[in-house]
Amino acid sequence: MTYPRIARTLAQPVGLLSRIGDQTLFYGKAIGGTPHAFIHFRKEIVRLIAEISMGAGVLAMIGGTLVIVGFLTLATGGTLAVQGYSSLGNIGIEALTGFLSAFINVRIAAPVIAGIGLAATFGAGVTAQLGAMRINEEIDALESMAIRPIEYLVSTRIVAGMIAITPLYSIAVILSFLASRFTTVFLFGQSGGLYDHYFNTFLNPIDLLWSFVQAILMALTILLIHTYYGYFATGGPSGVGVAVGNAVRTSLIVVVSVTLLVSLAVYGSNGNFNLSG
Amino acid sequence: MAVKGPERWSMGVGVPKGLSGAMGAVGGLFSMGLDAVKFMFVRPFYWREFLEQCWFVARVSLAPTLLVAIPFTVLVSFTLNILLRELGAADLSGAGAAFGAVTQIGPTVTVLIVAGAGATAMCADLGSRTIREEIDAMEVLGINPVQRLVTPRMLAAGLVAFLLNSLVVIVGIVGGYFFSVFVQDVNPGAFAAGLTLLTGVPEVIISCVKALLFGLMAGLIACYRGLSITGGGAKAVGNAVNETVVFAFMALFVINVVVTAIGIQMTAK
Repeated sequence: MTYPRIARTLAQPVGLLSRIGDQTLFYGKAIGGTPHAFIHFRKEIVRLIAEISMGAGVLAMIGGTLVIVGFLTLATGGTLAVQGYSSLGNIGIEALTGFLSAFINVRIAAPVIAGIGLAATFGAGVTAQLGAMRINEEIDALESMAIRPIEYLVSTRIVAGMIAITPLYSIAVILSFLASRFTTVFLFGQSGGLYDHYFNTFLNPIDLLWSFVQAILMALTILLIHTYYGYFATGGPSGVGVAVGNAVRTSLIVVVSVTLLVSLAVYGSNGNFNLSG
Repeated sequence: MAVKGPERWSMGVGVPKGLSGAMGAVGGLFSMGLDAVKFMFVRPFYWREFLEQCWFVARVSLAPTLLVAIPFTVLVSFTLNILLRELGAADLSGAGAAFGAVTQIGPTVTVLIVAGAGATAMCADLGSRTIREEIDAMEVLGINPVQRLVTPRMLAAGLVAFLLNSLVVIVGIVGGYFFSVFVQDVNPGAFAAGLTLLTGVPEVIISCVKALLFGLMAGLIACYRGLSITGGGAKAVGNAVNETVVFAFMALFVINVVVTAIGIQMTAK
């Protein structure tokens, strides 16, 4: 090559475009393969559901995804109550802590934290698994045995994730409510009836449904990103580690963006919310 | 030290079976943390490694930090403004944005990025060195891996988290300003005037302390999991990185609750 620098600069946008195309192709294949996976690999899906909700290896010892996501939402609900009670107390309306819990937990805290928890536990786990399979040439082995690798490895995980997310997210939301209530009522000594009154008044069932939509979309994008990075891991053992890191980094950005876009789309700029009833 | 795996950094006390795995890991983490702190005051301090690690963590964290901080800020100020407008207090949205950015968004986003981007890369690096037996080679050469590798990495993660926190806070306030003023029609003067209403110097100091603690802890966990890797091959490294992310997030959320509560107690009066 006569002009290496110019050639490299020109190749960059082409590389970017082809990476985007590559990812889109992979996602299309993975989603398109779900019916095949659902019909032919049912046993694998059941096994994966158990693995996703309980985790694998050392993570299973401390209770797996369920416990970790629950723990993160508990901690967030607690922080929200501590911060909310004291800030609202500054302007004399700490009675509204229950309202804050019903509002912020459903709209921001639970979806974002559950998404982060999912990315860290089963997302990163999936990348590590698939990456190790790629490095050990197990994926090539699948191909030579005429088992469709994307359907067998990726689509099954997507189906399993979609099935596992609903109970997982329900538990996360309930725990965040409980943590806020516990902190406000038992630690700060607010009357339980007062808290429950404002909490029940402002807990909007439609908001909760949208919050579930956010969680499901997030789980789907997290799974797609993490399977992609794992499936195409290169560079030996350290390459798997790097792939896990990159996948986590990307999915953190995506989690926050998905939550933002869905809430802007759903609530609009005036918020679909009435304090005065 | 010919011992492999988690026993390498253990405290040498027998624990009942079943519990021994988890307890041993926690104890090992603390004993390594203690060593790492001790070596901060023992010469030679590896300045070069420290600077290289600072640059490395900053490089992998900077772009994701901005990309996470901007949507997160918009999300929070959007929800807060809805609330404040309903209360008839849209003029206070500056106070809300500054308070949210300084006390929660800044440290939380910093944690997520330093743990998710910096610590994972650190763990992958150290983990692959461990399974290539480079750490054993260092010990044979009479170099203490904690002094040579862990202390500089831990301090680098802490310093970068501390600096990133300021960046996220600034992005948070500026982003909140643009979103509130241009999208949700808040009065710009009222926004600027509200900034310092709820947020004073104590809140900023607490936020910085939080970020520093988060960074140190994330660096320490990454180094511990990287050095105490068991087995060999790709799967071991992948699992170690996965566990680093999970444990770092969990530790950081606990620290957040505790420091928030302590900070509020201290600034209450």
